[in-house]
Amino acid sequence: MSVLDNIKLTAELVKANFSEGIDDGYDHSTTSAGKKGLRSGRVSELTAIANLKPGGAENLKKIMEIANGNLKGATKVGTLHDLRIVLLDNDTKILFCTAYDGDWDAYIDDFATKIPQLMDIIFGNVEGWPGIKDPSVKQFILDHQITATGWYVGVPHLTVNDVRRNDKIITGLNKVIDDANKIEK
Amino acid sequence: MALDFLKRIFNPNNVTIALDDIQALILRSRPVPYYGTVAVFEINDATQAKLILKELLPIITSAKDWHKNEGASVTLTFTYKGLEKIGLPKDSLDSFPEAFREGMAKRAPFLNDVGVNDPKYWEKDFKNATIHIAAAVIANSEEHWKTKLQEFRAKFSNNKGLKLLKSHDFGATEEVKNVFGFRDGISNPEIEGSGIDTPPGFDRPLKTGEFVLGYPGEGDITKPYPQPDILGKNGSFLIFRKYQSQVADFNKYIQENSRNPQEGELLAAKMVGRWRSGAPLVLSPDKDDKELGDDPHKNNAFSFKNDEFGKKCPFSSHIRRMNPRDSKTFVLEDERLHRIIRRSVTFGDIVPPDVTKDDGKERGQYFMGISANAMGTLEFLQKQWANDGNSQNLGTEKDPMIGVQDSEGLFTMPADPLVKRYRGLQTFNIVKGGEYCFIPSLSALRWISEL
Ligand code: HEM
Repeated sequence: MSVLDNIKLTAELVKANFSEGIDDGYDHSTTSAGKKGLRSGRVSELTAIANLKPGGAENLKKIMEIANGNLKGATKVGTLHDLRIVLLDNDTKILFCTAYDGDWDAYIDDFATKIPQLMDIIFGNVEGWPGIKDPSVKQFILDHQITATGWYVGVPHLTVNDVRRNDKIITGLNKVIDDANKIEK
Repeated sequence: MALDFLKRIFNPNNVTIALDDIQALILRSRPVPYYGTVAVFEINDATQAKLILKELLPIITSAKDWHKNEGASVTLTFTYKGLEKIGLPKDSLDSFPEAFREGMAKRAPFLNDVGVNDPKYWEKDFKNATIHIAAAVIANSEEHWKTKLQEFRAKFSNNKGLKLLKSHDFGATEEVKNVFGFRDGISNPEIEGSGIDTPPGFDRPLKTGEFVLGYPGEGDITKPYPQPDILGKNGSFLIFRKYQSQVADFNKYIQENSRNPQEGELLAAKMVGRWRSGAPLVLSPDKDDKELGDDPHKNNAFSFKNDEFGKKCPFSSHIRRMNPRDSKTFVLEDERLHRIIRRSVTFGDIVPPDVTKDDGKERGQYFMGISANAMGTLEFLQKQWANDGNSQNLGTEKDPMIGVQDSEGLFTMPADPLVKRYRGLQTFNIVKGGEYCFIPSLSALRWISEL
């Protein structure tokens, strides 16, 4: 890109931002989430692409079918805002994306003792997956991870736990308000 | 003292690991009372240093008879720089974990060693990472200590291969209180295969591999360990961190945030999770109980399972963060993976609770923690459990004792009818330096001396 193009694009961006951006008072800037990945506030992104084993895509679809498309089991992890599994290139590749709180690599050993089967059932469909208990698993994930080019989080300073806690507080508060507003007849 | 000894019952039929090859520090309780010296050295000359090592070998103590805990023990450990300097082959050096190779100061971002704990404020030997060898002599009497120390010193006094950088004497009386006046050194995990017989009600011993290299750990996973086998097996890693304790600031904070001394004592106990005597809040929620604190059969026999909301012992308290003992978890984690054997020693005098003006004296503790995965464990404890609150469902709140406080300085104390929120906590324990050390087995020490 030429210097002139560069200036033009910058100017257009500034204009777009000024007219459309709203300041919600939160810090939306991003930093690195460790060796790879981006973080905004408390929330990081993990994006990975890998080849699937023959039959891997079918297995994954079957898993989703058995789960009725409901992955509520992931709630157990406690730090997942969302996760997404996408099959690419005629079901030969997997795109795995998640928004999660904090660090994932610090917890890899915990996954290996707490939910080893679940991890291996899902990721065992990936070509070369060493197994969650294998010491090389961290590096395997890193090798397939691609740092996002852009990363935005709506409410970056709240973890899933924070949101759940706040939700409970609001529900309780609303109940108190509703009770107080009740008209006795 | 006989008490601690009673708690840890040895059964020779339960021994499945090479106790006579493992250094004593890993398994021996710190004696009560204790006397000791920590010393750190720089290696000037590898050939000379290996000669000294050969000389020292006979007095380095093994974990055999750890349960008797008699006399004095000598521990010898190496930093990565030390292993490099003494001439370990390159492929051996490369087989050590990355965090160990980098050293503690370099790992500051992974340890949340920021703000007042930033390595740029550390003491120069730690900051410049000049330490090669760290050694300790620990004894159960002044006499044993002095004799052993002399023996230790004699081995290298005429040799220029090692340069003594610093040495520090320490000790504690029968009560083993830290400088805040709280009993310390109570809770430590036990290791499977050491011969320990844990009475019912106590924590199950942890898999050997959590603390000794070359064995399966929790989840039956044997982690890679330094190679060759003779170098890594039966070894472990030591975390060494020097803390300066701001006891007067702590006392002042307690005074300013309580209406009377009783309330202050409660607040201080809530931050630690135990009363001054060592009595755990879970077993004695309303007032200190010296008899309970003194009783090794009882003072560690508890879990947080029935303190679901933290009304007895806050989720944020130091001991509940560092060992959640069956607390409800908010994040998927395995509390048995993040345990650490503590052999910390106190230096400086105790500051009574009514003293709120800093006298500027050095006091605090040399935190010594042992784990086969010491670097990973410390990074986990520092980042996930001490300097964050998400695991405790407390936002970004930090450990009141060891957290690096931010401008909020929050401490949440569940109470009836309403939870209490304290603000403006300071960093009451400041890191002045630290390093990771490798605790070689006795056969590894011999192997090194013959390189
Ligand atoms: C100067 C700094 C520190 C002070 C004053 C301090 C104080 C205490 C006290 C009073 C106890 C309770 C007694 C006991 O159970 O033995 C304790 C327990 C403990 N501390 Fe610390 N500590 C400090 C630093 C650390 C650090 C840096 C760590 C780890 C990163 C740590 C980890 C633990 C653990 C694991 C326990 C035992 C928890 C349990 O099993 O119940 N401490 N500490």
